[in-house]
Amino acid sequence: MSQHRRQILDMLASGKINADEAERLISALERDPASANAENATKPQPKYLRVIVDADEEGDGETLTRVNIRVPLLLLRAGVRLTGLIPQEARERVNDAMREQGVAFDMNQLRPENLEELIEQLNDLSVDVDHANGQAKVRVFCE
Amino acid sequence: MIPLIALMELGGKHHSIRLWLPLFLVWLLMLPLAVLMLPFALLAMLLARIQPWTALRAFSDVLSGLCGMQLEIQIPGRSVLVHIY
Repeated sequence: MSQHRRQILDMLASGKINADEAERLISALERDPASANAENATKPQPKYLRVIVDADEEGDGETLTRVNIRVPLLLLRAGVRLTGLIPQEARERVNDAMREQGVAFDMNQLRPENLEELIEQLNDLSVDVDHANGQAKVRVFCE
Repeated sequence: MIPLIALMELGGKHHSIRLWLPLFLVWLLMLPLAVLMLPFALLAMLLARIQPWTALRAFSDVLSGLCGMQLEIQIPGRSVLVHIY
């Protein structure tokens, strides 16, 4: 018997909840893991990082620039692993150069786990960019 | 799996060029060269204190990760398309 089910039965025995409430709690307890597992099973693992840019340079709808990039996530993972081969001195130089450009970035913190977290969070990112003459829409997502 | 074929298409206002590049032939041609270069590469890795096995694995991961890569750029009057299969 699970710990949660025992807690519910203890509460019922001590009179804190009645039989109906206990039944509802137990059925909710049984429903949750099943629905979570079903959701995980139906959710496909993303394979590609997609970047789509639609830019209208003049804002007239005729001078449309389109960029469509699909990068396999395997390549991104391999790229992150490649950073492990970069000597420490070179990493420091990269960090210094980035810092000079105002980017607080530490290459030593770049690990494959971070990329997995980023992929998990990057379900569908859409950025609208407006500039002087036209507008652009940038979409970044995993598929 | 390493990429075997690449498709490249360059489009202009009036005409476009489509090229199918048989990458598997490139790999076959590069294989003897890679064997010849291997001792030098190993020496360079030892000097740079890089583990050869790790470097080899990373290189093969990058190569196999290229499969499925797609790049399409369209600007008014011109377009570039690269697919790697």
